[in-house]
Amino acid sequence: MKRFRLVQPLTISLALLVALVSVFTLANPSFLSQYNVTTILNAVTILLAVGLGQVCVILTGGIDLSVGSIMSLVSVVLMMTVGRLGPAAYPLVALIGLAAGFLNGLIVSKLKIPSFIATLGTQGLLVSFAYLLSAQPLTAPESSYGVLDVVNGHLGSIQATWIISAAMLALYYAMQRFTPLGRQIICIGANERMSWLAGLDIDWARILAFSFAGFGAAVAGIVLSTTLYSGYPTMGVPYVLNSIAVVVVGGTAMTGGAGGVMNTLVGALIMGVIQNGLTVIGVDVYGQQVFLGILVIIAVAITFDRAKVAIIK
Amino acid sequence: MDEPVLELRGIEKHFPGVVALKGIDLEVRPHEILGLVGENGAGKSTLMKILVGLERPDAGEILLRGRPVVLDGPESAIRHGIGMVFQDGCMIRSLSILDNLFLGHEDPFVRLGFLSPRRMAEHARRQLAVVGLSGLDPRTQISELSAAQKQMVEVARLLWLSELYRVEDPTLILDEPTTVLQEGEVEILFGILRELKKRASIIFISHRLEEVVQHSDRIYVLKDGEHVGTMERSAPGAPVAEVPRVVRLMVGHELSAEHYRESMQAEPGPAVVLRVRGLARERAFRDFSLDLHAGEIVGLVGLLGSGKEEVCRCLMGAQRPDRGSIEMSGKTVRFSSPKDAIAVGIGCVPIDRRSEGLATSLDVADNINLLVLRTLLFGPFLDPRRERENAERWVRECLIKTPSIRSLCANLSGGNQQKVVIAKWLAAQVRVLILDHPTRGIDVGAKEEIYARIRMLAASGMSLLIMCDTLEEDIGLSNRLVVMKDGVVVRVIPCAARQKPSPVDVASYVV
Amino acid sequence: MSTAPFAAPDEPPPAPTERAGSTGPARAEGRLVALLERFRRPLEIMSGGIVGQLAALAIVFAIFTLGTGGSYLSLRNVLTILGLAGIPMIICLGIHLVIVIGGMDLSTEGVISLVAVICGFLIKNSFTPYDIGFWVVPIAVAIGAFAGLVSGILSTAARMPSFIATLGIWWVAQGIAVIVGRGNSVKMDDPRFQAFTNGETLGLPNTILVALGLFLVLWVMQRRTRFGRYMYAIGGDEALARQAGIRVARVKVLVFTLTGAIYGFAAILLSSRLAASNPRVGNGQLFPAMTAVAVGGVSLSGGVGGALNAVFGTLIVIALNDGMVLMKISPYVQNAVNGIVLILAVALTIDRRKIGIIK
Repeated sequence: MKRFRLVQPLTISLALLVALVSVFTLANPSFLSQYNVTTILNAVTILLAVGLGQVCVILTGGIDLSVGSIMSLVSVVLMMTVGRLGPAAYPLVALIGLAAGFLNGLIVSKLKIPSFIATLGTQGLLVSFAYLLSAQPLTAPESSYGVLDVVNGHLGSIQATWIISAAMLALYYAMQRFTPLGRQIICIGANERMSWLAGLDIDWARILAFSFAGFGAAVAGIVLSTTLYSGYPTMGVPYVLNSIAVVVVGGTAMTGGAGGVMNTLVGALIMGVIQNGLTVIGVDVYGQQVFLGILVIIAVAITFDRAKVAIIK
Repeated sequence: MDEPVLELRGIEKHFPGVVALKGIDLEVRPHEILGLVGENGAGKSTLMKILVGLERPDAGEILLRGRPVVLDGPESAIRHGIGMVFQDGCMIRSLSILDNLFLGHEDPFVRLGFLSPRRMAEHARRQLAVVGLSGLDPRTQISELSAAQKQMVEVARLLWLSELYRVEDPTLILDEPTTVLQEGEVEILFGILRELKKRASIIFISHRLEEVVQHSDRIYVLKDGEHVGTMERSAPGAPVAEVPRVVRLMVGHELSAEHYRESMQAEPGPAVVLRVRGLARERAFRDFSLDLHAGEIVGLVGLLGSGKEEVCRCLMGAQRPDRGSIEMSGKTVRFSSPKDAIAVGIGCVPIDRRSEGLATSLDVADNINLLVLRTLLFGPFLDPRRERENAERWVRECLIKTPSIRSLCANLSGGNQQKVVIAKWLAAQVRVLILDHPTRGIDVGAKEEIYARIRMLAASGMSLLIMCDTLEEDIGLSNRLVVMKDGVVVRVIPCAARQKPSPVDVASYVV
Repeated sequence: MSTAPFAAPDEPPPAPTERAGSTGPARAEGRLVALLERFRRPLEIMSGGIVGQLAALAIVFAIFTLGTGGSYLSLRNVLTILGLAGIPMIICLGIHLVIVIGGMDLSTEGVISLVAVICGFLIKNSFTPYDIGFWVVPIAVAIGAFAGLVSGILSTAARMPSFIATLGIWWVAQGIAVIVGRGNSVKMDDPRFQAFTNGETLGLPNTILVALGLFLVLWVMQRRTRFGRYMYAIGGDEALARQAGIRVARVKVLVFTLTGAIYGFAAILLSSRLAASNPRVGNGQLFPAMTAVAVGGVSLSGGVGGALNAVFGTLIVIALNDGMVLMKISPYVQNAVNGIVLILAVALTIDRRKIGIIK
């Protein structure tokens, strides 16, 4: 796969995006209608938010299987509190996401167990917590619709969700590109041994990476539940795999140390386009899943850095 | 006498940029212990890898009992009766002796698809007895064994395999077998080898020349990829050779004074930057003390097992010493990780730059700036302009040849990669820099540039602790040498410019 | 007592010989990890055997017997535990094979759902004319084996880490399951299946008997066949195993295939419990299986632990959950407890030296 190193994975993903859009438009010209594009971009917001969270962890070489349950927990708490707390509910649930991510980071760094086990475990904990709060699906009280519409409403012709996407993108891009933490995260994923020898505080960087993941999941959960005006403990389940797909299809290597925010943006767009496009030409949700699964396998095979893993287990 | 068991004729091997072996002729006679000696980089391990089929020679042939053979892997070498006990061991630690002995070749014990543990245990006990491990339970896990026992189990496996393939006079190669042994075990090992001589020929590689001259029947000396001499026992019972004579064959080069820029060598200042007292780490080294002055280059010299690598690990914070103190500019410091060492100004250019010195998938600028990101901020964010300026400055100063500061380090040559690593530490303004084999795998031209860089660093007041590939390099670059052996400092040798000791003299303390 | 000339060491054996020049072990240990590592060595030895697990099981029984005033220890409850443990034990026996060779299998749920859906249409049902009765079992096994084969090939020939390959298979299989099943739940009109899965023989639930039968087969395989020993060699050190001449790729592919076959079998049992097949049959089976694997002492780094560990791990996890149900602990708290148990079990049994860098 050395040939592909000459071409950045980002370029390949962009090419794929353009190809997909072209194919779907040819199949059905209304694909590029304003209505359809709006629909796609709305779906992309959630994928982007949770993907940005996941990419922080994947860049360090780990994986976060608890993002779905963070989204679920956030949806439940939001629906429970938005009636009483109004807009203060938003920072509350964002904090919950941060805290959950922090816990993940703590477990992985201090207990030194693989991230997928740690997050498999915390995922169970978080879902339990959500169920304990409310076993039944919750719907938002009508009084809170005003507060919720801040997220799922629009400002003129601009959807609020686009503003959220742009803000998240800016935040995570700034973190990755312009802060020492972002550099350190990439370095740890690229060569953890060297990073330790160079004196980087690996534990702390990892904890922060997981915290950013939790925050991203929280934002995704907020958007998802406000769009549906409801929350329940299994709301986020499909987004675990979706977030990984977004990251990987965008060209970020699962071995860590390469790729990042921009790749994830393209990945989210590709996912949104695929889901929408396949629906438009008549493939159902599950056919999409198969298509996506195959796409993921191919993407990983291309981006995976075999030099890093001497033994493929 | 009888014809040789194994013969190598005209073996040559090239690696990119370097000729590892030039026209080697070697013969192994039946029932002998052949000692193979040579400095690091002389070609011993390449030669042995060719013998066991891990490498193919570029020219020459291998003859087994007079017939040419082609060895295309360890398995085929074993089928011809050539096996090697590697330094790191080939036994799977979570399996038992039984499992490991017969791994991959269990056919003789299979009946109707099932293994017969009883027969395997019987055979295992028999094999263990041959190598002097008769009381050992074959079901013991390898991880429970001592290093000495593990080695003997590996020898047992090789012997069994040669029986299985009906090879009458196998050749066993032992790579530095005594390094991991304790005091009394060395004698026991050679006792067993003398017994084994009756049914096999043994090649044993070692740096410990006293052992080699005492226990080998012949000695084969390699230097710079060439065979420079063979020594034989003149009379039964007499040692094969005197150690100094062997050393002279192994080492003895003409030291070119300007090669190491001796003219730039200056006397160190009076200030003691790093003071180490009584440093010790269990099973590695003890009682290590050193006063490192500003502008001084100290060469740490010793064989594998001398403890010098562990000393450096403790000094850079990668390992914790059990006892002793470290002072930087008068203040006592404790390191719980490299971060602490870096905080007081100690850095290390590691031996393996690809896996420990750089992130090869990142670009030059990111690698150089890694340690000083906090100084390149604009508010809470990184300032791209300052990042660029810092990277460009060090690329200029260290003469790093790269198309741009945004080129990936993976695309740089070895020499330039090493310069990036050095630049990273210079950017962090360390006061003590440990250089672990700084010119390994680097072409001649880049080596010279690195020597010049080292001189300049010393001249600017930095203190350097170096461990080099060859004694010449250590002698040529250092102000003084600290020689370690078996975990203690045995000698400190001054190396003032124009008064350099000869490698032969130094080597006599090392071995 | 050894009479060997080389005395057996009376201190812990030295750390694996480090290559000259490398800067030491992977990471300096934190204090918490140092504490865990002190427990790990004895547990590692025990986890090849099951002393620790027997103790844990005894503790679980003790706690819940006290907590429920004795009703936990009743014959009826013990039989309930065994009945509940049957199918998870089969799944755990399947997945532990992949773990022993040092891999990971995330495809469990997808494969089970896929097999369940396909077989739902082959057993007597109201959507298709098929009615092949017990012949569906070899078909289920074959489908599962095929899925495992694909996972194995991706993990070896395509050189993808098994973690990713099986993640993809999970996705794809789940998707195909839903496409084929069209989301419907297909009722099994052939009553023999449900009767078998929920029935008993000689007083013991059939599922546990099947599980124990599978256990015996795997146990013998692991101890007395070359294939079994090679699994442990590969899990112990894949590079050295290859060097010793073992056909590593072939063994790995076979292991994945075998695991998939076991999943296929479990799928039939799972769907016949409620006499219904749908694409959700596999949901939630991975988490308890992984927990059982870890708790039973099968190390995630590979090479340690076997069928016996899978059996005991499952028993402990099921006993724990059953006890919580009896003590009326909320099912959601149970999930949390399982999560904590998983984390702790892995933290205590994983060999950090082998994994090197924890990501």
